[in-house]
Amino acid sequence: MMVQEPFSNRLHLDKIIDQVCGAAKKGLIMNVKYLIPFVDAAYDVLWAEAHFKMKRGQLSLEKGFYLTDEVTVIISLVGDINGTVFYSMPTQMVLNVISVILGEKLTELDALAQSGIAELGNVITGRASVKLSHTGFESTISPPTLMIGAGATISTLDLPRLIVPLEGPPGKMVIHLALLENMNKGANAAHLAVPPAPALS
Amino acid sequence: MANVKFMNPFVEAASEVLKAEVGTEVRRGTLSLQKSAMTTDDITVLISLVGQVQGVVLYGLSKETGLGLVSKITDQEFTEFDSLAQSGVAELGNVITGRATIKLSETGFTSNISPPTLIQGRGLQISTLDFSRIMVPLVTDYGEIMVHLALREAPPGVSSDRNFVPISI
Repeated sequence: MMVQEPFSNRLHLDKIIDQVCGAAKKGLIMNVKYLIPFVDAAYDVLWAEAHFKMKRGQLSLEKGFYLTDEVTVIISLVGDINGTVFYSMPTQMVLNVISVILGEKLTELDALAQSGIAELGNVITGRASVKLSHTGFESTISPPTLMIGAGATISTLDLPRLIVPLEGPPGKMVIHLALLENMNKGANAAHLAVPPAPALS
Repeated sequence: MANVKFMNPFVEAASEVLKAEVGTEVRRGTLSLQKSAMTTDDITVLISLVGQVQGVVLYGLSKETGLGLVSKITDQEFTEFDSLAQSGVAELGNVITGRATIKLSETGFTSNISPPTLIQGRGLQISTLDFSRIMVPLVTDYGEIMVHLALREAPPGVSSDRNFVPISI
């Protein structure tokens, strides 16, 4: 995928650092370093697939539940980083994005649109997990689950959520990151198989 | 159906856990298979599986059932579905799923589970897309727990085992 300029370059790092310091005081810093791969991936994918330029809004951290928007894509990560990622957006945003990707005007959230947006979430999360693996965190992503219906509450319990709004021509999409580094990493290492030696011929 | 073999570990795990934690007998109701989106009950616990078995497990229950189970586990009367009750129900889902994955690994399918997510709100649509769901109703003394299994065997070539040892930096 061709991207002219990495999105992380556009992030106002000083502002992030301010917010991170605030978060650190609350003991919620763990999440923040996983932010940039997701923002980058979302930007890359929406640019490559639909030529939409997205802009990041104000970050926030929440511990409580959240009220869902009309469409939510839920994908879990398991591995060195554990947790769940939500992509929540209004129906109109889904229709705008999927219409452009498919090159066909969609007017309702039918099976095709649902499948399309779930796949988009899957691609973004997959790309983000590849970026995360470059920084040493290997994780596997689960298949996407799609939730339709505004006004429900979703809680990630003791995992705080980092909320990243992305705005652009098709509308607003909010990424919720409820991720935590797996503390059992060392303990698991002992059980891992070492690659077999190359066969002698 | 490929994923019926994944059902028994979940039923066994659920009845063991509910018997140990809540002291209720569990009866399995009539199974059904669905392809369309599910409509939620009051409370839904969502846990993903990743590995040789992949997909999503959803536990749907009514508020009364949730309160009844949590009241019994904590030995304290709950009338409102507050954060402690939420945490209790989510943990119950986590323990059942964890136990089921151990049983699955004994049959040769290793997988890892994600942390639980709790969804509250009746009448939402949850779609697992191309995964068909087996719906297993579990009848307890406190009400019915509907277990939705949207699982499949990982495609060949996908392995949950990593073939390298991570080096801590």
